[in-house]
Amino acid sequence: MSAFLARNRLIVLAYAGMVVLLLVTALFSPGFLSVSNMRSTVVLAAFVGIVALGQTFVIIGGGIDLSVPWVLNSAAIIMALLCGGQDLPLVWVMPLLLAGGAFIGLINGIGVAQFGVPPIIMTLATNVILQGLILVLTGGSPTPSAPALIQFLSVGRLGGFPVIALIWLALTLVATLLLSKAAFGRHLYALGTSATVAEFSGVPTARTTILTYVISGLAAAFAGMLLTGYSGQAYLGMGDAYLFTSIAAVAIGGASILGGSGHYLGTVAGAMVLTILTGLLPALNLSSGALLIVYGAVILLTVSIGSETFAGLGGRLRRKEG
Amino acid sequence: MVMSVEQTVEMAQRPAETKPTKPAIDWRGRLLDRAPFLVACLMLALIIGIYGSLQSGVFSLDELNLDTAAAMTLMLAATGQTIVLLRGGIDLSIGGMISLGTVIAATRFTDDASTTALWALIILALGFLIGALNGLLISLLKLQPFLVTLATWSILNGVAMIILPTDGGSIPSWWVGFASAQPLGLTSPVWMLLVLLLFWWWFRATRVGIAIQATGSNEKSAFLSGVSIARVNLVTYGLSGLFAAGAALFLVTQTGAGSPTIGKDYILPSVAAAVIGGVSLFGGRGHLAGTLIGAFVLTLIGNLVFVLHVSSYWQPVASGVILLLSVLASSVAEKAARNRVQ
Amino acid sequence: MDLVTVNGLSKRYGGIVALSEATFSARAGEVHALLGENGAGKSTFIQILSGAVQHDGGSILVDGQDYRPANPDAAQARGIAAVFQELSLIPDLSVEQNIWFRHEPRTWLGTVNRTEMRRKTLALLEKYNFPALRPDQELRRLTLAERQIVEIAKGLAKDPRILILDEATSALPAREAEWLLNLTRQLAAEGRLVIFISHRMAEVRAIADRLTIFRNGSTVAAHEADAVSDNEIVTQMIGRHLDRLYPERVSTATDRIALGVKGFSSGSRLSGVDFALREGEVLGVGGLQGHGQRELFQALFGATKASGSIELWGKPVSIGNPRQALTGKDGIALVPEDRRGQGLLLTKSVRENLTLSVIKRFTENGLLSRQKEAALVKEMVDFLRIKAGTSEQLAGTLSGGNQQKVIFGKMLLTQARVLLLYDPTRGVDVGTKGEIFQLMRDLAAKGYAILFHSSDMPELVHVADRVLVMRNGRIAATLEGDHISEEEILRAAMLETRAA
Repeated sequence: MSAFLARNRLIVLAYAGMVVLLLVTALFSPGFLSVSNMRSTVVLAAFVGIVALGQTFVIIGGGIDLSVPWVLNSAAIIMALLCGGQDLPLVWVMPLLLAGGAFIGLINGIGVAQFGVPPIIMTLATNVILQGLILVLTGGSPTPSAPALIQFLSVGRLGGFPVIALIWLALTLVATLLLSKAAFGRHLYALGTSATVAEFSGVPTARTTILTYVISGLAAAFAGMLLTGYSGQAYLGMGDAYLFTSIAAVAIGGASILGGSGHYLGTVAGAMVLTILTGLLPALNLSSGALLIVYGAVILLTVSIGSETFAGLGGRLRRKEG
Repeated sequence: MVMSVEQTVEMAQRPAETKPTKPAIDWRGRLLDRAPFLVACLMLALIIGIYGSLQSGVFSLDELNLDTAAAMTLMLAATGQTIVLLRGGIDLSIGGMISLGTVIAATRFTDDASTTALWALIILALGFLIGALNGLLISLLKLQPFLVTLATWSILNGVAMIILPTDGGSIPSWWVGFASAQPLGLTSPVWMLLVLLLFWWWFRATRVGIAIQATGSNEKSAFLSGVSIARVNLVTYGLSGLFAAGAALFLVTQTGAGSPTIGKDYILPSVAAAVIGGVSLFGGRGHLAGTLIGAFVLTLIGNLVFVLHVSSYWQPVASGVILLLSVLASSVAEKAARNRVQ
Repeated sequence: MDLVTVNGLSKRYGGIVALSEATFSARAGEVHALLGENGAGKSTFIQILSGAVQHDGGSILVDGQDYRPANPDAAQARGIAAVFQELSLIPDLSVEQNIWFRHEPRTWLGTVNRTEMRRKTLALLEKYNFPALRPDQELRRLTLAERQIVEIAKGLAKDPRILILDEATSALPAREAEWLLNLTRQLAAEGRLVIFISHRMAEVRAIADRLTIFRNGSTVAAHEADAVSDNEIVTQMIGRHLDRLYPERVSTATDRIALGVKGFSSGSRLSGVDFALREGEVLGVGGLQGHGQRELFQALFGATKASGSIELWGKPVSIGNPRQALTGKDGIALVPEDRRGQGLLLTKSVRENLTLSVIKRFTENGLLSRQKEAALVKEMVDFLRIKAGTSEQLAGTLSGGNQQKVIFGKMLLTQARVLLLYDPTRGVDVGTKGEIFQLMRDLAAKGYAILFHSSDMPELVHVADRVLVMRNGRIAATLEGDHISEEEILRAAMLETRAA
């Protein structure tokens, strides 16, 4: 048990931090720990968590995905347009848009893996291009509201549990399996640690990289559609906040931004921490500006803790070669 | 016949005793190295060409003045970013610094010249100090620049929002007028452009500038050669913050107000401008001239889109495509250059 | 009067003793050689002297004054400069910018004075008769040998009283090595002290006035060079009789060809090689450095592009990347030269490293089986006697020898029977070296086919059944039986081609 804790100390720390945060918030705002409040916190965190799922895979593999805002937004808007408020079209629209998200991911992945474009540039470019294309498509005018079915998925409940929480749970299981129990996960961690060593070990590096971006595109597209259900409408700029929060959630969850370490379970804690912090706002009478400051401080704090551990280790590794 | 090792080594000297000549200049290699920059120049020429053919008066001083003013904020931000990229890092916090700068200016500048000048200096000093703090955090805590500057961006953003929650405030008209002043027929932005180039030419030849480039080129070698990595980081990120503050001071001459959110529009374009101009994301290579051309390219796309009578929404698409083309060009050139190195 | 006196110097890294009670003394105007196996402490010693690392105990006196530099700059201030094997050069700067890095002559503006820098560069290169270099050439365009020469110039530019050369000749071809040896004598004649590390006895004999021998982290002896024989030196270096290092050579080769190579070329360094590696054979690849050996191994493994044909166990194959090489029993595996950069994930456990290439072997229904993985790990740890606390220990904390064993294990698990070993014993302690040689013979006896390159010629001579000598990207000679000797290898490597 202690070995398990030691190996995953950063994830454990993230959850510990989350619990502490919950208690602190409850102190200032007694109603915070109520069932209904916790429920809405989990629902809000789920959106971050789903986008951050894709980001987790990409970051572990040593990359980064800056295209999530507009993949998310594109899926949202196109879904609203194609469904026109009706449920039935969802049957073909949803798979289509998921495929679309995967396709953008494929393009990102090919650019990074085959053409050697740095991830920051590649995903930045696709993000900006998608933005332009969607703006041209809509001309900036509002879109129809979301179909009822999607709204159900986002805000409805099944046996008392929010549907979206159940969806998040299922996705968490899948992600955990992929990372811990599948060859793909092993390949990914190796790739993120050292692409050269992975290559020399027979790891299918190009395929693995591309897959991470495909997963990220899928996740962002899925989140976009669900978010539309949540707010009832797709609007321009709805994806922008998710870039920062998805990366922050991954970082708070203990993953190294350079790749090779981390786990989605940590990201889940990270998403919860960020969402609870947002809930702290009204409790402490903080302005949105103060929230941003808190976000920044939390990130600095968590990565410093993680880094001290690695810094010590790295120091030991380096000195060994004396 | 059994020879000793020395005899064998000695024997090897005898055949082919030609006088060793100096290796010739590798012109093709040098061209390939500069390929991204040349591609950027080409793109700029192309854009200006198309623009000029569709609109009259493009090749005039007025146009130069106008466009430089439109591009100058980005140019200043991108100058700081270029230094950081040269170091092999990245600075996301300039977005926060720019917002903060405009917000302080909009709430503290008055018609009184000395108060305004004081606050302008404070803003610049803040930029440098906060940037230096970034550098310190990166060195001391051994944190990745991406995450540190992401966090400080958020913090600076937050501070800006607290000072001025929505766009507003006011900038004295004489400060705004600075941008359109025309000493010797060229507006201040054009002069600033020249100053930037002069600065770079000087900076790159100083020991600090060389140390920054060296550290970005190979941090381990720089360390073994006695470079203080901590000091390099301090100066690098300090300068980036300084230029971001400068960008804010110029930006308010264009907008006449402060905005807590405007900064984020300059972060990724500052990186894009540098990359288009041939600055390497891996550190150690790049020239400000390229970045400035990249900034011009990104700014002029807007003009081009306008005269082509297409929706202005095509601008981000064009920017993205140009960015990709530029990177692919340098990637191809890089591979070709590598194949020629023994 | 000694220029440098060292007493009781020690250095630990965590639980590992790198240096203990080392003593040393040397005078100005002397060339002093340091000898010892890899890992004996020479590198740590000079790292301390040059200010790159701080010592824990003991004292150093330079000119009778206490010497404890906090960093390389402080060391340079006392006149001590080092030229390391691990080059400290900046790829994106030019040759002269590298030479004068951080000591550039400046103008009143604080900028670099280019004309003065050029003048000083040319003067320096002239004074010491440097091989041809263009001062304005970008460093990334230079070969390894040329970079080593620039590194030497950089050391000299600091006008040091004490110059430390760490295996400076290992990257240099014959003519440049000769130049360097003459240089050391010139520097000594100028009244400087040159501390010189080399594994090549001939070089040491050619220039050293005195020598100090390191073993197991301490200094065991110091001699005047002309007062000690080669055998005595070797015995003191190794601490045991030389012959026991190498296993008995039994011919286990059959007639079956495991790896057949025809017209194999890659890049500009490998220009067409043909050879056949037999089942049960240990085939050595030798020759001077930089004549295509590395390219051969990397291309055979698919890590770089190549043209020509390869046949594995009689079947033609096309290997475009390492994944296509590691196909199981009929595949081909590589233990690469760069342990840390190509062979191991330093921040991952021994277990994860060992099983990285064979995940399929412990996957059931798409999911990984911990038990099966543990079984594979145990198999290799036991077979190779890998010394690690547990299999969860991070690979980066293992000794060089054990790290090498982990890489061996990783490749052995793939069950490939054709093994490419590139300098497998470099930086490995003597004990593990012996184990590795024995392992090679044991595997050969089991029917493996091994292609083996070593930069250490005695290894090739004592371990290989046959030796291919490479020169200019081709095979200059194939040596068998009695013809395998250091002289024959060198002769084929440098002189006329011989029929195979």
